[in-house]
Amino acid sequence: MAGLLLGFGAFAFATAASAETTLKMFVTSQGQPGIWRKVLDQYEARNPGVKVAIELGGATSDLQAQYLNTVLTAKDSSLDVLMLDVIRPAQFAAAGWTSPIASANMSSYLRAYAEANTVDGKVVALPAFADSMFLYYRKDLLDKYGLKPPTTWDELATAAKKIADGEQNPGLQGLSFQGKAIEGAVCTFLVPYWSQGKAVVKDGKLDFDREAATKSLALWKSFADNGVAKKNIAEVATDDTRKEFQAGNVVFAVNWAYAWAMTQGADSAVVGKVGVARLPAVTGGEQATCLGGWEWGVSAFSKNQEEAKKLVEYLSSPEVSKFMAINGSLLPSYPNLYRDADVTKAVPWFADAQPIVETAKPRPVTPRYNEVSEAIRTTVNAVLAGVTTPADGAAQIEARLKRILR
Amino acid sequence: MVKNAAARVDTRRATLSRWLDPDETTLAILLLAPTAILLSVMIVYPVGRLIYTSFLDLSLTSGLPSRFSGLANYQQMLDDPVFWQATWNTILITLITVPGSLLVGLGLALLANLPFQMKWPMRLSLLIPWALPLSFAGLIFAWFFHSEYGVVNDMLNRIGLPGVIWFNSPRLAFTAICLTIIWKASSFMAMIILAGLQTIPRSLYEAADVDGAGRVRQFFEITLPLLKPTIVVALIFRTITSLQTFDIPYMMTGGGPGTSTATLAMYIHQNTVSFLDLGYGSALAVVMFGLSMCVTALYLRMIRGSETVS
Repeated sequence: MAGLLLGFGAFAFATAASAETTLKMFVTSQGQPGIWRKVLDQYEARNPGVKVAIELGGATSDLQAQYLNTVLTAKDSSLDVLMLDVIRPAQFAAAGWTSPIASANMSSYLRAYAEANTVDGKVVALPAFADSMFLYYRKDLLDKYGLKPPTTWDELATAAKKIADGEQNPGLQGLSFQGKAIEGAVCTFLVPYWSQGKAVVKDGKLDFDREAATKSLALWKSFADNGVAKKNIAEVATDDTRKEFQAGNVVFAVNWAYAWAMTQGADSAVVGKVGVARLPAVTGGEQATCLGGWEWGVSAFSKNQEEAKKLVEYLSSPEVSKFMAINGSLLPSYPNLYRDADVTKAVPWFADAQPIVETAKPRPVTPRYNEVSEAIRTTVNAVLAGVTTPADGAAQIEARLKRILR
Repeated sequence: MVKNAAARVDTRRATLSRWLDPDETTLAILLLAPTAILLSVMIVYPVGRLIYTSFLDLSLTSGLPSRFSGLANYQQMLDDPVFWQATWNTILITLITVPGSLLVGLGLALLANLPFQMKWPMRLSLLIPWALPLSFAGLIFAWFFHSEYGVVNDMLNRIGLPGVIWFNSPRLAFTAICLTIIWKASSFMAMIILAGLQTIPRSLYEAADVDGAGRVRQFFEITLPLLKPTIVVALIFRTITSLQTFDIPYMMTGGGPGTSTATLAMYIHQNTVSFLDLGYGSALAVVMFGLSMCVTALYLRMIRGSETVS
């Protein structure tokens, strides 16, 4: 009898324990889940009754989107909070997949993120962190040869040549960038294209400049052809660039902010030798870069709307933003944090990053972005692999974009 | 009144007895009903639905309700270079890997059927590629063929040949994909053929030995003819799965460089899952369904042909 009572007691306890809310938060596996976990531990400690579980998925932005597409078209309620690439909030809101967050005040964020997360006057997601593409470079090697960080791609090629001639190290690449058919390759294409003062979409209509596109594709192909980049650059994804740079095999690398923390880690060959600068321009053009960053959305199918919104507001708060800047080298989405003493002590170059992030350009905003992205990245990949010429590639992109954005 | 009631009872009895003691037509309908219901739920409805969707303008990214658009999706296909490329790639993969895996599989099966003392290591090594998930096989071989870290280029270097960037060239990438599919599929072929080999009575070979027929002659006059039904079954399975090739190229090249190694199944996946264009995706799937049906019909004719001969 006592046993029965005890058993009943345990049962009652178990139901009481399961009465607490468990939120499931989707994070891409490249999104430094370990550091977010620390933030969540703190949140759980402050909010008894709420547990947050991380679900990892999708090593790249594309894979992540594909997974979420399947989950959300099925109106699956298993995910509560979603980490979304900055290109997605508009799409997800159009599809009715995220819930608007009424309480949010967007004016304290960097303008680009306030805009990216507001659709038709409604806040559809909150910024997790800001980002843009930067030029990482080997400060030690540039100093050794008396070079300054390049401001044009031609200067970069010349500098890479000079260092390669001096170092005589066949394992050292001049430049690493993303040539694989991934989301990053869209930015690869856009950076020199924008640098020529061109846009892809203007006032919601296609505004494509084939000549500028040809020039952009030809620029990247020339790096592969003249030995500044590796011959197999069409195989290189974002994190390959980071790994190679971290191993000390690259002079210049195009990458996002997250790479900094890793290049300063214990297993990095380049600690203290890394500089970060604005991406170069095409000669005669202006320096441009691609706006990145990730956002927190609340799934429209979540059964814990209130709790999920509360969590998202916390994750997007200045406090968490600062913690992630220091521990994960993720750029804050609050302008004032770029000058915060604790932040600049951990990530000194953030002090100069703010104007770069503020002038970074967003990729074309359209609900059919996945198709736009696919048309661009497969063509970049084909040109770098030598399957298509830059001129044909530009014509193909134009033809496909015309069909998508008609 | 009484008469009426009696008549009612009579008809009721008649209905009951028809159910309990049905004539042949009713019996046939009754016996077929479960299959027919199952088929309509599992096949007719989904396929019908698929064909219906293929006539719709149904894109989840447009935010618009679905609209009947007739043959517009099929029209779009005609002008879509990626569709043609993907279809051609699919057919080419089938034409290369089906005979390829049959030959390798036959060889492996014959090896495994040799009177070794220890049969299990051979049979186990046959099972492993088959048991491996397709996407995993694709992932492993993507590493094998990687231009810098890959074991294939390393082997080429060791025998004095230069390594190549497999995934930079459509032709090499295609070759790498086909080699991987053959590696993966031949173990399946080998297992089916091995089962077939073991049904051939040993006495036939003993008689052939007595008659003085050599090994090669025995293979062509006994083994191959008796294996034919098994081989046809294996070919049907293999051809249909190869028309649906997805995982291995998806993991190895993602359809690249450019779209040069995309298959029809990958293109369907891209249009439905990535672009959320369910109308166009369904139309593509209808084409793939049609292709599979044609091939199956062809094989069935082949079997019927061989049955009438024997």
